[in-house]
Amino acid sequence: MKNALHKMNPSIKFLAITICMFTMAFFFDPWTPLVFWIGVLVLQLLFTQISWKKWLLFMLPFFVTAFGYFWTTLVFAEDQSGPVVWSIWNLQVTQTQLNHALSLSFRVMAFSSLSLLFALTTNPVTFILSLMQQLKLSPKIAYGVMVGYQFLPVLKDEFVQIRQAHRLRGATKEKNALQRLFGIRRILIPMLAGAVRKAERAAFAMEARGFTGDRRSSYFHVITIGKVDFALVSLFLVVLVLSCSNMLWLRL
Amino acid sequence: MHEVIEFEKVSFRYPDEEKWILEGLSFTVLRGERIVITGPSGCGKTTLLYLCNRLYPDNCDGILSGSIKLFGKDSLSFIPGEINHRIATVFQDPDAQFCMQTVEEELAFTLENLHTKRDEMEKRISDVLTLTDLTEFRHAIIQKLSGGQKQRIATACALIMEPEILLLDEPLSHLDPFTAKKYVEWLDNLQQKRTMTIIAIEHRLDLWGDFFERNIPLHNGKVTSKLEKRVSSTQENNSLVVSKVQAMPFLKETTFTLNHGEVTVLAGPNGSGKSTLLKALCQLIPSTGTVVPLNLGYVPQSPEFLFLTQNVLDEVSFGGGNSSMEMMTRLQLLPIADSHPFSVSHGQKRRVAIAAMLCDGREIILMDEPTSGQDSAALFELFHLIDERAREGTTFLIVTHDMEFAHYLADSVLLMKDGQLTGKFNAEAVWEDRKLLMDHHLLRPKGVIGHEECFA
Repeated sequence: MKNALHKMNPSIKFLAITICMFTMAFFFDPWTPLVFWIGVLVLQLLFTQISWKKWLLFMLPFFVTAFGYFWTTLVFAEDQSGPVVWSIWNLQVTQTQLNHALSLSFRVMAFSSLSLLFALTTNPVTFILSLMQQLKLSPKIAYGVMVGYQFLPVLKDEFVQIRQAHRLRGATKEKNALQRLFGIRRILIPMLAGAVRKAERAAFAMEARGFTGDRRSSYFHVITIGKVDFALVSLFLVVLVLSCSNMLWLRL
Repeated sequence: MHEVIEFEKVSFRYPDEEKWILEGLSFTVLRGERIVITGPSGCGKTTLLYLCNRLYPDNCDGILSGSIKLFGKDSLSFIPGEINHRIATVFQDPDAQFCMQTVEEELAFTLENLHTKRDEMEKRISDVLTLTDLTEFRHAIIQKLSGGQKQRIATACALIMEPEILLLDEPLSHLDPFTAKKYVEWLDNLQQKRTMTIIAIEHRLDLWGDFFERNIPLHNGKVTSKLEKRVSSTQENNSLVVSKVQAMPFLKETTFTLNHGEVTVLAGPNGSGKSTLLKALCQLIPSTGTVVPLNLGYVPQSPEFLFLTQNVLDEVSFGGGNSSMEMMTRLQLLPIADSHPFSVSHGQKRRVAIAAMLCDGREIILMDEPTSGQDSAALFELFHLIDERAREGTTFLIVTHDMEFAHYLADSVLLMKDGQLTGKFNAEAVWEDRKLLMDHHLLRPKGVIGHEECFA
């Protein structure tokens, strides 16, 4: 139960989340995204094992962005109609302004938590396999992406090795940020040169394994769709419908 | 017996090069043969192998004349990947031949490509893992394994296709000599069981014994000189004093000294902590203990990792040493002084790296696997580079699996096992001590035994 969303079919999860996002894009009041956001958090609480500490860390930039939207919309709003509900210093905040500002920042929160919910419960490899098996993604693209993904740890090791080698040469850390940004180039060039070579060899390796890009007739690792997937999709839809119909039951 | 591969007057060149890399080459391979392709680096061995499995000419837009027939059909009539079901390849670079994360996924990927039925897959995967003695690695993450282990897994991936022809590109270059010997024996048994055709590229035939029946030599007319045992240039005084160096969690307490002009080889099984020790000595990873002097020179396996500037001259003088011109002259770098350090040959890159280290006043040079993937001409160059520097008083500590090379070069040998330094030994004594060699997965160099069995 606690890991239902982790086990959910990634393509189905992806579709459910995409539908939610598209629907939410058509609501401009503050309440819909707020209710939806709370709904997403309830789902996360009930059906995932995401560590909340990690979640908070990832959400931090989004909190900042949300606050930024909130503040700039308050201060620079064009539409200043409606009754004044709040005033700080000499700034008069009207009802419309406040609504717009809240709506925007709750949207940021809702969309980012929803995306994080997907990212933190989905294994990228399973996701691609599922895209290939359920959504008929071409194996050429799917395996291309997957091979690229395998290179990430190698690139990281290389980055560390190059940095170590440079430190040995006495390449001291540049003082200002701009120079440091320029200094990165010295690490990136050998890495890019290596990446081009690696990409070519990986293509060779795939061909040598007999990869023709054909559709496969059977998979070793089958990604299934089960009853749980339908139940979870229904839950997503319930949350969506509840939040979209908030004016009916949330009488404020 | 019938022909599986037929080359008739085949010439090949890369699109951006004038020179034909292969010219007028004709040969046939019969079913079940064991063939080795030999020749110096850059003579087209790998190119020839890629023509055999149809990776070329398609993937490099190369220009091909003559005819290549695979299983009696023109090679160009196959679509990409089709012929590779019957001709399996193990590439030279262990890092660039895997597509998936774990060993099991990689094997499954191969089987899916062959359109194997799902209920057969499990059996074929466990069978090939038993056959290759790799069952314990089934769920291992490939990128975390050592070069030697990757090479064995690559072979398993090739074998699971049950190919008719197996192509191997220097399969032993990342194995320690002991593992290499076992690999050859195992391949020998397998070939007899399955009557595969085996074609391998190899320039060091000593480890293969009488495995191959036939040699296809590729020549570019350049005869390389043989190595000779070097005369020791060890001086009396210490140049490097290492005491109680330790790096958590793997490297155990290590103490040794090296003298000026001494060439020392650091050897041991795959994954015994040799590279970790080098890095600890250079303070590239956190470690405890003392190293005198503090400034050590370090040349990684890819020397280009060291490069910071736009041309060779700047590169050598980067550290601020005032003898850069003299160093350039001594290491014969003047002709390429204006070239970009990335654009020179691999041997020259290493030369530049060493020049830069010496110019920085780093009189002790640590080298990580300089011999891997090098042909005899490059080894010859490397040998002389080290020999000349050592005569001038530079101290060398070299990690290598190549015991042949170590035998010609080393004054002393540091042996290592499971993160623990066994000790420092006189080189001659090590080659004679069979038990010591066995314990560290090393084989006696052929030079000691006194005869050389090479086709090349």
